[in-house]
Amino acid sequence: MEMHGYKMPEDLYYEENHFWVKEEGDLLVMGMDDFAQIMAGEIVYVQLPDEGKRIKAGKKFAKLESGKWLGKVFGPVNGELAAVNEELETNPSLINDDCYGKGWMYKIRPDDKGELANLIHGPEAVENWLLADIEKYAK
Amino acid sequence: MEAKYDFEKKFREQILQCSRCGFCQAVCPVFGATLRPAYNARGKMLLLKEVMDHKIPLDDALIETLFQCTTCASCAENCPSGVNVPEIIKQVRKDMVHIGSCHPAFKGMDAILKEKTNIYGEEEQESFGRDKNTRAEIVFFVGCVGLYREEESTEATLDLLDRLDVDYTLIDEVCCSGVLEDVGYEINRDLARKNMDRILATGAKTVVTGCPYCSRTFNTKTQYSPLRDKGIRILHVSQFLKDFDFGVTTDKRVTYHDPCDLGRHCGIYEEPRETIRKIAPNFVEMAHHHADSLCCGAGGGVRGAYPKNSIAMARRRLLEAEEIGAEVVLTDCNSCVHNLANAKLRKQKFRIYNTTQFINELMEEAE
Amino acid sequence: MEARIREMLKQVVGEENYTENLIDMVSFSYDASEHSHRPGCGLWVQTAGQVSEILEMANREGIPVIPRGAGTGLSGMAVPIQGGIVLDLNHMNKILEISIEDRLAVVQPGVVYADLERALAPYGFFFPPDPASGTVSTLGGNVATNAGGLKGAKYGTTRDYVLGLEVVLPDGRIMKTGSRTMKSVSGFDLARLFVGSEGTLGVVTEITLKINPRPTATSAALATFDDLEDAGRAISQIMYSGIIPSALEILGRHTLEAINQNTDLRLPEVDAMLLAETDGYTLEETSYQIEKVIEVFEKNHPKEIKRAETEKEKEALWAARKSAYAVLARIKTNFVLEDVTVPMQRIAELLKGIEAISQKHQIQIATFGHAGDGNLHPQILYDGYDPEEVKRMERASADLFNLAVDLGGTLTGEHGIGLSKAPFMTLEHDPVAMDVMRKVKRMLDPNNILNPGKMALDPVSSG
Repeated sequence: MEMHGYKMPEDLYYEENHFWVKEEGDLLVMGMDDFAQIMAGEIVYVQLPDEGKRIKAGKKFAKLESGKWLGKVFGPVNGELAAVNEELETNPSLINDDCYGKGWMYKIRPDDKGELANLIHGPEAVENWLLADIEKYAK
Repeated sequence: MEAKYDFEKKFREQILQCSRCGFCQAVCPVFGATLRPAYNARGKMLLLKEVMDHKIPLDDALIETLFQCTTCASCAENCPSGVNVPEIIKQVRKDMVHIGSCHPAFKGMDAILKEKTNIYGEEEQESFGRDKNTRAEIVFFVGCVGLYREEESTEATLDLLDRLDVDYTLIDEVCCSGVLEDVGYEINRDLARKNMDRILATGAKTVVTGCPYCSRTFNTKTQYSPLRDKGIRILHVSQFLKDFDFGVTTDKRVTYHDPCDLGRHCGIYEEPRETIRKIAPNFVEMAHHHADSLCCGAGGGVRGAYPKNSIAMARRRLLEAEEIGAEVVLTDCNSCVHNLANAKLRKQKFRIYNTTQFINELMEEAE
Repeated sequence: MEARIREMLKQVVGEENYTENLIDMVSFSYDASEHSHRPGCGLWVQTAGQVSEILEMANREGIPVIPRGAGTGLSGMAVPIQGGIVLDLNHMNKILEISIEDRLAVVQPGVVYADLERALAPYGFFFPPDPASGTVSTLGGNVATNAGGLKGAKYGTTRDYVLGLEVVLPDGRIMKTGSRTMKSVSGFDLARLFVGSEGTLGVVTEITLKINPRPTATSAALATFDDLEDAGRAISQIMYSGIIPSALEILGRHTLEAINQNTDLRLPEVDAMLLAETDGYTLEETSYQIEKVIEVFEKNHPKEIKRAETEKEKEALWAARKSAYAVLARIKTNFVLEDVTVPMQRIAELLKGIEAISQKHQIQIATFGHAGDGNLHPQILYDGYDPEEVKRMERASADLFNLAVDLGGTLTGEHGIGLSKAPFMTLEHDPVAMDVMRKVKRMLDPNNILNPGKMALDPVSSG
């Protein structure tokens, strides 16, 4: 769904550092959103930790880089890393090409799916948050 | 024909000496990773010869190859005709910047260093919880990559220095800006002055750097001669640690990657190995080592300007580690660690460390 | 390139494997010779199928296609002298098979010679020709030029090892020829026709090579001479030793001086130095052989004879020899590297003749080469920006070719004709031979699209 020039699908949950999350059966899939992907430029490296790694809500569990920027990936909920997108190892720019589809990054087994409620969700909330960040990064 | 550019005035004869033999193709890391002759040293010399002969202009069309060179000097090392390609390239880049033709990444680097303290433009620095700017015998100068991209490695190095009871202090360091000289610009005198003032204020007689680029810059560039004139000794940490005993060993199969900035540029091949052999009796060389070492692909600004090719070069180097069944790959440059670690595939089970980080880990385990 | 053609080519190889970028066009204009010319475009190909589509289209449209490996050819074979498409084969760089039992290796044309050697080494095997450019030249290029090398006298050249080829013909048809057997006389020996054809009859896309077990022991010696003629005579008499050395190289004075400038070898700067190597499986055997060779040297007034003892010494000598021509390039802005070959008994005369030509035209000529098979590499050094000197170089060159042919020799032992020697083809080949060569070319490439303008095959550039 187009929002001020960025594609931000309505049905997704968003972690405030610009990662999207959605349910897939028992697991949660996460990736980078369009706003972040555009700001970062071409992604050249994505850290893919081992499966089983403990994820803590609000804490960094991986990093990624574009030519000019080092980014941190924060846990959206508490849980365990269930899978990573191995395609990103040799083709990290999938994140730029298709951030919501082929560019998915991690799958998490959440301790409690209810924690999704802590994330940004719904068109109004997403829009307010996006506008604030557009302003913040315009400086 | 009157020589129009500085590179012509300084290097015309050498460029003409290029016999087009193409032997550089065997060792150029950019060519090895891409198989594109335009990127190879010979390809670059052919372009410059045509510029000198007024067949083509020196302009933006040439950026893609003239700014894509890690300055690893493998070509110069192997050139039978005596052409010092990296030196020629560095001068050409200055000429190109002068006429307004430059890769945006490097223009950006010069601009960032006019406003910020480091090449990444980072505002926040990891706190290592150590003293800064105090009086000490040694200043430990970390370098931008160590401060902003490889903090774990830096923390471990500082831990190691602590274990060895080294009397050192950190300073509010800023980028040595040595890289600017290699990508068409000049060392930022403001930053250089800040570094020198802060080093001298500690009363230290020795500067130990975590990054070989920094130590090479401090040791060879005129902008840093006030430091040397005051008798300050500048060492890279691999030279500094050579005479220490650590009291730990590992039986893991360990190899060493010679960073270009330590090896081919400074001739430092043995000190790191002396240290490693003390702690790792099961030491093996990769197929290319010492002066033949394969560049990791990060240098000369290539990691910032051409990251995909940069990582492809690192991947090529890691195949050699895989070939010899190495379990641990050690090196002595944060830039190399960074690029190699990014390039390592999940299925490759070896681990990549700075030598100091690895020694610290062994000492930690021994406790 | 016409937009329509560009689109067709991009369809075949993909956008990222098509280039008209200036930086690529410049690279593709040159090889290691003095010649250069811009192509229309460059292509990187991955499969024989792609090569086939491209040639079929080029044949239809009348566009020249120039196959290219490492671009280290010394006579201009890879220079697109009539523009057109440069076909860069370096992406086809897989070693497809090594079979020790069948004593063969199957490779793609872009495999670098040194990479094949590295792959064969663990088996104790090697691919003998050993061209000086082996660290960078590709097997496709080696086949196209019938590359020789330091081991030529004993082990022959590339042609002696090609068992079979897959070739794409100028009309796009893919032909497989030869066999996987050690010998075959089934039908015409088409594979041999393509070896040394310098990319004018077909584009090689797969090569089946015979390989040899590698002798494990070597002995080496060097001998210096104050008189070039003595060295020449020593070479001519080598057959009387009863031994074929695995390498016998000559280095002249200029060459020795240049090598000393570039290395720490500190070789004696004499009129001539001979480097000899014998190989086998025991040091006793190779030592015996080298002593026989030394006996011949001793009969010809050598100044000094030394055995090279350690592996390191031997390696350094051969490395110095292999980089000789590039080292000599430091002396003047330009050079032309010749490749004249004469029957063994005429070597002394050839050496003397080269000296005389150098004097006559007041131009520096350094000499080194594969004395063991009569193949010298006189290197004419000159200032390319001085039109007078350029003329003297051209005259000296012509005299050199005339001399070689007069001595019953050939214009080129291993570097090929390409552009550099095309004007002199009729010196060596009589009209009947030239006619047959041109007819064969016409038959396979009626529209003259594959590497046109080379080897004096074009009816107009008869030389």
